[in-house]
Amino acid sequence: MLQVTINHHPCAFENGISILDALRMLSIHIPTLCHDPRLQPYGGCRLCLVRVKGWPGPVTACNTLLSDGMEIETHSSEIERHRRTLLRLFAQRYPAAPARQFPDKEFHDDLRAYDLMDELRGAPDRSLVDDSHPYIRVDMSRCVHCYRCVRICNEVQGQFVWQVWNRGDSTRIRPHSQTTLMESSCVSCGACVDSCPTGALEDRSLLEHLASMSWTKTTCPYCGTGCEMIVGAHQGRIVSIRPALHSPVSKGHLCVKGRYAFDYHYAHDRITTPMIRQDGQWKRVSWEQAISFTAENLRRFVANYGPDSVAVLGSARATNEENYLAQKFARVALGTNNVDCCARVCHAPTAVAMKLMLGTGASTNSFDDIERARTLLVCGANPTENHPIVGARIKQAALQRGAHLIVIDPRRIELAEYADYHLPLRPGTNVPLLNAMAYTIVEEQLYDAAFLQERVSEWEEFRNFIQSWVPEQVAGACRVSADLIRRAARLYATAKPAMSIHGLGMTEHTQGTESVMCLVNLALLTGNLGKAGTGVNPLRGQNNVQGSAHMGCEPNHLTGFVALEQGKNLFESAWHAPLPAKKGLNVMEMMDAAEKGELKALWAIGYDLFLTNANSSKTKRALQSLDFVIVQDMFLNETAREFGSVFLPVASPFEKEGTFMNAERRIQRVRKVTQPLGQTWSDWEIICTMASAMGKGSFFNYHSPEEIWDEIRSVWKAGSGISYRRMEQAGLQWPCPSGEHPGTEILHSDTFPIGKRAALRRIEFNPTAETTSQEFPFLLITGRTLYHFNAGTMTGRTNNTLLGAADRLDIAPQDAQRLGLRNGQRVRIRSRWGEAILSAQLSPAIAPGELFATFQAPQVFLNHVTSPYRDAYAATPEYKVTAVAIEAV
Amino acid sequence: MEKILSKHFFNPEARRLSFYLQNDGYEAARKALTCMSPQEIIEEVMKSNLRGLGGAGFPTGRKWSFIPKDSPEPRYLVVNCDESEPGTFKDRHIIEWTPHTLLEGVMIASFAIGAHQCFVYARGEYVRYANILQTALEEAYRAGFFGKNIFGTGFDLDVMIHLGAGAYICGEESALLESLEGKKGWPRLKPPFPAVSGLFGRPTIINNTETISYVPVIIRNGGEWFSRLGSLKSGGMRLYSVSGHIRKPGVYELPLGTSLREIIYTYAEGMRNGRKLKAVIPGGSSTPVLTAQEIDVKMDFESLAAIGSMLGSAGVIVMDESACLVKALAVLGKFYQHESCGQCTPCREGTGWMTRILHRILTGRGVKGDLENLVRVANNIQGNTICALGDGAAMPMISFVTKFREEFESHIFHKRCTAVR
Repeated sequence: MLQVTINHHPCAFENGISILDALRMLSIHIPTLCHDPRLQPYGGCRLCLVRVKGWPGPVTACNTLLSDGMEIETHSSEIERHRRTLLRLFAQRYPAAPARQFPDKEFHDDLRAYDLMDELRGAPDRSLVDDSHPYIRVDMSRCVHCYRCVRICNEVQGQFVWQVWNRGDSTRIRPHSQTTLMESSCVSCGACVDSCPTGALEDRSLLEHLASMSWTKTTCPYCGTGCEMIVGAHQGRIVSIRPALHSPVSKGHLCVKGRYAFDYHYAHDRITTPMIRQDGQWKRVSWEQAISFTAENLRRFVANYGPDSVAVLGSARATNEENYLAQKFARVALGTNNVDCCARVCHAPTAVAMKLMLGTGASTNSFDDIERARTLLVCGANPTENHPIVGARIKQAALQRGAHLIVIDPRRIELAEYADYHLPLRPGTNVPLLNAMAYTIVEEQLYDAAFLQERVSEWEEFRNFIQSWVPEQVAGACRVSADLIRRAARLYATAKPAMSIHGLGMTEHTQGTESVMCLVNLALLTGNLGKAGTGVNPLRGQNNVQGSAHMGCEPNHLTGFVALEQGKNLFESAWHAPLPAKKGLNVMEMMDAAEKGELKALWAIGYDLFLTNANSSKTKRALQSLDFVIVQDMFLNETAREFGSVFLPVASPFEKEGTFMNAERRIQRVRKVTQPLGQTWSDWEIICTMASAMGKGSFFNYHSPEEIWDEIRSVWKAGSGISYRRMEQAGLQWPCPSGEHPGTEILHSDTFPIGKRAALRRIEFNPTAETTSQEFPFLLITGRTLYHFNAGTMTGRTNNTLLGAADRLDIAPQDAQRLGLRNGQRVRIRSRWGEAILSAQLSPAIAPGELFATFQAPQVFLNHVTSPYRDAYAATPEYKVTAVAIEAV
Repeated sequence: MEKILSKHFFNPEARRLSFYLQNDGYEAARKALTCMSPQEIIEEVMKSNLRGLGGAGFPTGRKWSFIPKDSPEPRYLVVNCDESEPGTFKDRHIIEWTPHTLLEGVMIASFAIGAHQCFVYARGEYVRYANILQTALEEAYRAGFFGKNIFGTGFDLDVMIHLGAGAYICGEESALLESLEGKKGWPRLKPPFPAVSGLFGRPTIINNTETISYVPVIIRNGGEWFSRLGSLKSGGMRLYSVSGHIRKPGVYELPLGTSLREIIYTYAEGMRNGRKLKAVIPGGSSTPVLTAQEIDVKMDFESLAAIGSMLGSAGVIVMDESACLVKALAVLGKFYQHESCGQCTPCREGTGWMTRILHRILTGRGVKGDLENLVRVANNIQGNTICALGDGAAMPMISFVTKFREEFESHIFHKRCTAVR
């Protein structure tokens, strides 16, 4: 402890904090302009100067460490005079209107505190205004040169958009492009806006709503990173979102989706009343009618065709509580294990592979390990676009800390620019590539012998098996040189700790599960498991996809990823109801069963399976065959539009309470910001009401999400210590088996849930049947982009559409030239399974012979093209490899 | 008085390696590398009382001793030849006329601190002189004085000459490092000091060109010999750049402690056209001005500090009675406004303010309170900025206005200039 006196009062502090930190802890306010806790101390504004006895001149509090015996004075008349003079210098060039209009800004506070409001002599200057961006307004006549925008863009987002031009009092901050923000490389994360102390950078939405706002902290409803945000509402309408400064995951940062893409709430086509389709036409009805109509039908199918003629799909967009209820409804109210969720079409292979090999089907480590790893292996993931906060953290690790980076991806994604090695493999060759890396580690004896001895089994068998995976022999098929494969393997094995991070480029293949197993093999061989900065870490695609499956929306698992037969007793006694014994159908099997007429009715919660499932013609045949389709969503999605029988309109995540589970096993609170719009209901309310209409109300007698959560904690040991009360402060990572347990950042430190050792898997390569031919010479990869999310249901109804166009077909410039295609030209893309039309976009990131496209636009309906092939273990469709032909339209 | 650096100024032959070698060139380096340990060299330099001649006057030997010893970490020597202080032109003479002296000093200093790479950062306007230095360097490389295994000792050293792009601020050592790293020349917060974390985050010694150039003679003749040349605390000789209203402007190499009067009247041969001396800036434009009554001061660090000024870069700017000091100060103000980097508030905002006030006074629009405002803003800058540029901008303001107040008041209240035409 350090003993110091501050303004003549003795106090004690921990070592290693700055004078400013100490003052803030004591709530002693001194003005600062350039300080932002997210950034390195800067010492530029000089407002935080304080006197320290014995020092020759005043010192900046922000970047001077507190040391023992310091005698600090913060408000002497000399210092206060100095601060006032500095602020006066600003005032001469600062316009008066905004200071009065936006009294809450940090700088305006200071102006008032030092009685300078009447000395504001700056004039508005149109030439310093940039109105180009749909979300951010730039007015540099309000710039006070604290450089927070420049620094946060560099130090947090790593985009280097804002740059300092000129010198001295001619200094101006402009985008690097020297044009508008819109024309720069800005990724619209809004970090600069959030940091700006004057409003020189401001959210447009805020400018339009000046009146008082209420702010509520909640968790982002987009990807599985789990950023926390503060949502501002004005008169019951969401008008602004800001990052939560102390969030354990996002640490005061958000991306363009989380921060700006919320206007979908008020889209003109949001459905706010229940509807029933009669004679082909949607008809608005009351909730009573909708519920009784639906319950009646469900009862009829169960009675006539048995419980297994009905299926329920939980939603990765809904809360843990709601997914828990969805699967309980299927099992208890309907009596079937036919329940699944969209984890099936993304990371189910990861869950299966990791559960089988390590005993837990989730990330072994945490996002904080990105800052601890010496080497990061990014496989089949494009974090800077799809998990931008994770992407920014990886980028900073490489840029600021010099962490090594290996990128395995067919495309030259942004992270490849910062990587030591980029392995641009041919789509579909994950298994041979990762096996060849394992070969190198074994051949060059780069494995962790002690770890193998203590924690790994089947080492001898694996050593024999891997002999045939010589890099030189797979190099051709993988389209990666043997030398590059070897270098990457060496780096991963020797620059430890090494952490692997993977995405759907690993899982959405016929060998998806086995690809992840290969990745786990690498971690086991090198001992990169159970320690800080290591592990195998899937980036989960949606806010609660980890949670929806984990809550039991899986045909073969109950809550907590417990196998049906294993959990039968526990759950029957907890639920006071018998459980169906027969394993249920997964989504893909549901489609098969529907096509065969075995499945009659489907309740799809927040899941547009027609648009998003691969091979749409198959999905169409299946959905057409169903007698009764219940769609529960915010919008009339494609499934509803084509096949819906009943539409149940839901509240958004900003309109209800609950929890989400992020990719690092962290459960965080979702809080109600505004009342549900119109007559929308929360999913949990709908499920409970439906159960009661079916005569099963006693099993679904809940009054709040917290009550549901407490039931979940009673059946799921690993989550039992995570209460709403504890989550008030910050989310917790399971396993957290008691109220005192701090949660688990790193799994498998000493042992695996399956025992002391984990076995290496010997994975053979079974190439996909989806291969190129003379007729179909290209391989199509599908995926996501920065500005749009999955089906585009949300982002497509916001100004994100102005930032990034909907589906486009990325094509290598060489290929485009050969085929005579120009940017923006309409092309027909045709596979063995179907066709679609979209615009071409020349992209150097894509390799010749390959194509990339997103699939959010219903007008394009790209999934007509994708194949019916599925992963052998998890049935996940092969979204990542389709042989296609293209031609100009 | 024996000349050291200026002995062969203006003799183009002296630039050649052959000439330099005939005059015992690189013998000091040979002695240092073959007969002395790094520690012995540092001790010798400490004994010499050699101090930083760029302006700050920090003892050179002590600075070198801050470099971590016995660490495998790379470290660098950086020579500051970004000579931009108005009134200062000594380093230019060194690289123009005796480039090998600097290079020999580089070799000894690098060996003393264990650096295998040295960067010479020259201001962009010195392209011609930097080319002379480059030619000398190439000659020395060919003769085996640089590169691998120098003098067969196993010591390797490479030197790179880098040209700045026209910013005064890059003469500030940490801004220079930023610039050398390819970034905008913005000073760094200190600590950490460059000896701990300098170029590319590695321990780095930055010395002025002149400082390094005196190292060979110290090694050749011994530290004590050098220290005896000067006054007590500041060892040896230094180059005074003398300019302004004097008969013979130029660079004079004299012992530290020579009086300002001697420099002006003996060496520079006095005032021009029989005019009276009015004011002298003793150490480059950033140092507080002296009146004609103060020129008996000894030109060393302590004596100037005692009368509230600084030796700085020893750039002596002499002004006679025909000089309008309001105009002179306005020119200086404009310079600092233009050269302020813009990073910290007092300097960025303050230099512009001061210049605007001065411009107002100069154009006859001065008002009561202007001088108080000028001094208040200057006081607000001095001691409150990230680097010393702010101090350099503030000190002339305060000293001019304090010492020549009547002249300023005459401009403000009588709209009249008192300079003798």
